[in-house]
Amino acid sequence: MSGGSPDGKSQTKTMHPTLIFLSVLVLHVVSILIFTRGFLLARTELPFHSDCSDVSSCPCYDSGVESGSFNGTSRDGAFRGCWTKPVVGKIVIIVLDALRFDFVAPSSFFEEKKPWMDKLKVLQKLAFNERSTARIFKAIADPPTTSLQRLKGLTIGGLPTFVDIGNSFGTPALAEDNLINQLINSGKRVVMMGDDTWVQLFPQHFVRSYPLPSFNVKDLDTVDNGCIKHLFPSMYEEDWDVLIAHFLGMDHAGHIFGVDSAEMIEKLEQYNSVLEKVIEVLESQSGPGGLHENTLLLVMGDHGQTLNGDHGGGSAEEVETSMFAMSPKRSLPFIPPEIETPYEFDSENRVQISTFQQLDFAVTVSALLGIPFPFGSIGRVNLELYALAAGNWSMEESEVDPGQNYLSSEMWLHDYVQVLCTNAWQVKRYIDIYSASSMIGFSSDDVSLLSNAYVKAEKMYLKAMNALASQSDPGDTFVTHLKSSIDAHAEFFSRVSELARSKWTEFKLGMMGLGLGIMLFSLLFQYFAIRRVIKIFGKTSHKVSGDSGISFGSLFACFLVAIHATSLLSNSYLVEEAKVATFLLATVVFVKFKHSMVKMKMFYEVGAFLFLVLVLRFAIYVGLSKQAGVTTLLSSGSWIIGINEAYSTIIVELIPFVALIFLAYLLYRATASGIVLGISKAIVVKAIFCYVLIAVHWASENGISNLAFKKTGRTLIPRIIYAIGLGELLLLAFGKLGEVGVTDCRERLLNRTVCMLSTWSSTVILLSGRQGPLMAIASIIGGYCIMKLQNAGEDNGVSLIADPLSVVEWSLLAVIMFFSTGHWCAFDGLRYGAAFVGFDEFALVRQAILLTIETFGFSHIIPIFGLPFLVLGNNLIFRTNQPRKLVTLCLTQVYLMYGLIMATTVTVTIICVTIQRRHLMVWALFAPKFVFDVVGLLLADVLICFASLYYHLLDKTERPQDPASKS
Amino acid sequence: MRPGSALPWKSLSSQSLGRALDSLPSRSNRLMEGKSKQEDASPTMALAAQLICGITLVGTYVVAPSALSTDLVSDPTRTLRLFWLTLVPVVVILFGLFRQNRGRTSLLRAVGRGLLALPAGAIVNALGAVVLGAPVHVKYLPGTVEWSLMMSTMNFVPAASVFGASWSNWQRIFAFTKPNSWIDIMICVPAHGAVVGAWFGAWPMPLDWDRPWQEWPICVSYGAITGYLVGLAASCSYILLRSRHQWHVKSE
Repeated sequence: MSGGSPDGKSQTKTMHPTLIFLSVLVLHVVSILIFTRGFLLARTELPFHSDCSDVSSCPCYDSGVESGSFNGTSRDGAFRGCWTKPVVGKIVIIVLDALRFDFVAPSSFFEEKKPWMDKLKVLQKLAFNERSTARIFKAIADPPTTSLQRLKGLTIGGLPTFVDIGNSFGTPALAEDNLINQLINSGKRVVMMGDDTWVQLFPQHFVRSYPLPSFNVKDLDTVDNGCIKHLFPSMYEEDWDVLIAHFLGMDHAGHIFGVDSAEMIEKLEQYNSVLEKVIEVLESQSGPGGLHENTLLLVMGDHGQTLNGDHGGGSAEEVETSMFAMSPKRSLPFIPPEIETPYEFDSENRVQISTFQQLDFAVTVSALLGIPFPFGSIGRVNLELYALAAGNWSMEESEVDPGQNYLSSEMWLHDYVQVLCTNAWQVKRYIDIYSASSMIGFSSDDVSLLSNAYVKAEKMYLKAMNALASQSDPGDTFVTHLKSSIDAHAEFFSRVSELARSKWTEFKLGMMGLGLGIMLFSLLFQYFAIRRVIKIFGKTSHKVSGDSGISFGSLFACFLVAIHATSLLSNSYLVEEAKVATFLLATVVFVKFKHSMVKMKMFYEVGAFLFLVLVLRFAIYVGLSKQAGVTTLLSSGSWIIGINEAYSTIIVELIPFVALIFLAYLLYRATASGIVLGISKAIVVKAIFCYVLIAVHWASENGISNLAFKKTGRTLIPRIIYAIGLGELLLLAFGKLGEVGVTDCRERLLNRTVCMLSTWSSTVILLSGRQGPLMAIASIIGGYCIMKLQNAGEDNGVSLIADPLSVVEWSLLAVIMFFSTGHWCAFDGLRYGAAFVGFDEFALVRQAILLTIETFGFSHIIPIFGLPFLVLGNNLIFRTNQPRKLVTLCLTQVYLMYGLIMATTVTVTIICVTIQRRHLMVWALFAPKFVFDVVGLLLADVLICFASLYYHLLDKTERPQDPASKS
Repeated sequence: MRPGSALPWKSLSSQSLGRALDSLPSRSNRLMEGKSKQEDASPTMALAAQLICGITLVGTYVVAPSALSTDLVSDPTRTLRLFWLTLVPVVVILFGLFRQNRGRTSLLRAVGRGLLALPAGAIVNALGAVVLGAPVHVKYLPGTVEWSLMMSTMNFVPAASVFGASWSNWQRIFAFTKPNSWIDIMICVPAHGAVVGAWFGAWPMPLDWDRPWQEWPICVSYGAITGYLVGLAASCSYILLRSRHQWHVKSE
C-alpha cells in the first residue's frame, strides 16, 4: 500500500511519510470508533424533569376509578400527593458504605458463621421479631459498584454506565432528574451528613449538610464521628423531611484491613450501637402526634465488598448489599399469598429475606413520599417495601377488626396497583423519549415489544379497576384481578430492565471483533511500511543493507515489545505496568552496559541512565502509594509538594526552582553554542523567559511573596505562557524559522527539534506543577543517554538505519514518564487541578485541552517531538553524500517504529479488554486502561503526523537541490 | 552492499555466539599447543568441578528441608544463607585450583580473592536487582543481602578466583561473552545462566496469585538456581561433546 512504482519513487518520497502516518491515523480512528461502540457502553442523559402536572396525561387517573371510589375510607380527605398518595411523612436514610449482605443477614443464611456476621444484632432482632414492623432485604446493586456511580443509580433509578454522556464533565454535579431533585421541587427538605460525594452530586440541594471528606481511606473514624455528632441532634429537629446519613468507616476499614479484621468488627459494633440509639429515638417519638409518628427508617448499603475490601465490579460479593426498613406502623402488613414474591430461606427455614433491586429505590421512595418519580427512573415500586410502609395505615384509621385482613390488604393493594400503573406510564414515557431523542437509543423492535407489554399491563389494570367499580364480588376475585394486573406490570418492568441492562451493560461482540480486526490490519500495514522504508533506504544508500536484519538488536527489541504487550493481558501486570516498563528498560540498560564494556566507553552515559531508572522507579513508587491513598501527606498536587509538606523544608521547596534555572541554563547553552539561529534563537530565549514566569507564578502561589500581583500571578501568568506557546507553535508551523542561512541538514533538524521542544516545554512544565522541571531534566538525561548509547553494540562502526532497540527504549522511557509524573490509568488519576491552572471558570474544550496536555505531556508530546534526536545522534548519516534524503527516510522509519510499538501495546490492551469484558475488574481497571491507551494512541498518531510534516518541510523546500547534489 | 554490516549486536547474536563457540576447539588447540597449555583445565577436571558445584547446590536444596527444617518458601533468608555458605567453599577451592598463573599465584591467594569478590559482587548484584525493581523496604533487606551473596557466589566468585583483577579476562567473559578455554566456559555459562534465570524468575512476582513463593526474593532465587543448574548442565554437555570431538581429531 505504501508502494508506488519504482520510477515514481522520487515523486512519492517527499509525500509519502505524512500520507503513511495519516492513513495509520485513519485506520486507528476507524477501528477504535467501531470497537468503542461495541465495548464502552454509553447512555445519554436526558435533560427532562418529571413534574407534578405531568400526571394529567397518565391513563391511570382518567379511568374514572379515582382513589376515592374505594369507599368506606376517608382517605380523600387527607392531603393528596402529587403523583401518588404519600404514605410516610419522613424518611431517615442511613447509608453504610460497602455493607455486605452477610453483615446484616443472620448467619444461619450462610454455610459457615464468620467472625463478621451477626454483629448488627439490633437489625436482626427487629426484623425477625414476630410483632415487628421491620424487614431485611437483600439489595442488589448494578455494577459498576463504586460509591459515586451507585449514588447516581440510587437517586436516578437507572443504570449509570461507564460513560454518562451529558454535561457533567469536570463537575460531578448530577444534571439528570433524580430523587433529591424531585424532593426539593416538591418542597421537601433534605438534610445530609457524611460522605461529601453527596454534596458533589447535589451541591445546592440540601437544607443543611455536613459533608465530610471521603478521600482519606486511612481515616476510619472522622466521617463516622462527624455523622454521629450531627445525626442525633438532627433527629430532634423538625426542619427536614428526609435525612441522609452516609457512614464511610466500613468501606475504609475494608480497603485498609479487609473484612476479616478487628477494625471491621469494631466498626460493625459501633454501627450496631448507633442504630440502636437511632431506633430508640424514633420509637420514643413515634406516638400519635410525635415527631416521628410517620417516619420510615431505611438502613442500606450502596454496594458490597469482597473479603479484601475491594469493590467496583460485578461479582456477587460486591453487588449484594443489604437494606433494612423499619416502618412506623404497629404491625406487619398482610400480603396475600398469591402475590408474594419468592423468598430466600435460611438453613432452618425459619427466616425469610426477599430481594430488592437498587434500581427500584428511587421510584419506591418517591411513591412513599408522594412526589413525582424521577424522569429517568426505570425501576418499579417495590411491593414489600411499599406494603411495609403503607400496608395497614387504613386499618388503624377505620379500626377494622383484625379478622378482616383481606379487606385491609385490598385497600393498600389497590393503591399499590394504581401506583404501579403510574410507575409503568412514567417508565414508558422515558423509554419513548429516550429512543426518540438519543443518538444511541433503543431499536424499534425492542420498543414495540415494550409497547405491547405496556398495553397489556394497562388493560389488566383497567379490568381490575372495573371489577372493583362493579363491586360484583369483593374478596378473592378482586385480589385475583389485582394479581393479574401486578403480574402484567411485572412483565413490563422486567422487559424494561432487561432491555436497559442489555443496552447499557452488555457488549456488542461483532463490533468489537471488527474493530480489533482493523487494528490488527493497521499493525500489518505499519510493519510493511517499515519494511518498505528500509528497502528504499537500501536502494538509496549502498552502505545500508536492504534486509532489515535478524540482528540481535531488532530481535531483542521485538522480544521486549512482545513481553510488554503480552504482560498487559493479565490484570496483575496491568496494575504494575510501571514496574514492568522499568524492569524492561533497566534490562536494556544492562545490555547496553555490556556493550559499553566491550567498547570501553560510554560508561558515564550508562551510569547516568541506570541512576535515572532508579530515580524514576522511586518516583513511580511514590506515585503509586499516592494512588492507593496510603500516604495522605502526598495527596495533594505533585509528590514534590507532598515531601515538602512532610518535612516542611525550604530546600525541597527550592528544588523545582533550581531545576528550572538549570533547564534555562541548558537552553542558554544551546543558544550560546551557536547551533540555534535567527528566530529560533528568539524562541529559545522566550522559553527561558517563560521559565522565569513559571517561577514567579509558583512563588505567588506558594505565598513566598506576598506581592500585590498575587491574583495576576495566579491567572495572568499562565495565560501569557499559553499564549506564547500557541504563538510560537504557529510561528514554527508556518514560519520559515529564519533558516535561510543554514544549509547544513543536521543543524537544521537539530534547530527545529530544539525549538519545538522548548515551545512545548514551558506549557507542559507549568501544567505539571512542581515536578515539571525535574521531570523535564529527567527526560533530557534519558533522551541524551538513549541517543548516545544507540548502536553501542555495533561491531563495525555505526549503522545508518535507526536502531529499533533505541526506539523501544524511547517508548519505554515514555511509558515510565507517564507513571512517574504521578499518573495512572484511572480517572481518579487525572489531575483535574491542572485544567484550572490560569483559569477559574470552567469551559469544556479549554479545560479538556489543558488536561490532555498535562496528562500526556511528558509521555507523548515531548517524546514524540524529541524523536529526531535519535536520528541526530547518528553522526554517520550526515556524512553520506545525500544526507537529506537519508535523514528523511531515517526519521520516517523511527516514527513508524514508534507508532508500531505504541499500536502493538494498544492492540493487546484491546484484546485484553475483549477477553476480560466479564472480569470483575473491567470497570475499575480494564476500561480506564483502554480509554487512556486509546486516547494516547490517537494523540500520538496525530502528533506523529504533525511531527512528520514539521520535520519534513525541510526536504520540500530544498527539493530542487536534491538532483543537483546527486548529479 | 555489505550484508551483515548493518547488524548491530553481532557479538551477541546467537549465530555469532555459535560461531565463536565453533571456533573454540581450534583456539583451545592453539592454546594447548602454546605455552599456556597447563593453564587450562583438562575436560575431565572441568566436568568434575562442574558436577561438584551442581551436586553441592542440589544436595543443599534436598537436604535443607529435612535436616534443618528450612526451605526457600518458609524461610528464604536462612535457606539462601545456607546455599551460599555451602557453595562458597566449594566454588572458591575448585576454581582456585584452576587459577591463572599458577606459578605465581598460590591457592591461598586465589581463595582469598574469591572471598573478597563475594561481598563486592553481592553489591553489584543487589544494585542491579534494585534498578530492575527489587523492593527496597527494610523488611526485605535481609533477603536481598542473602540473595545477592548467593548470586555473587554463582557469577563473581568463580571469575575472581580464577582471574583475580585481570580486566581483559573479565571483559572477555562478561562483555564479549567469548569463552576461550574450558575454564572460561565453566565460568561464563553458569554465571549467565544464573543471571538470566533470576531475570525470568522475577516475572511471576507481580501476579495476584497470593502465593507465598511470589515474595521477593523467593521466586527470583528459584529462577537463579534453575538458571545456574541449567548453565552447569549446558557447559558440561558442551565440554563433553567438544572434548570427544577433540579426542576424535587427535586420534586421527
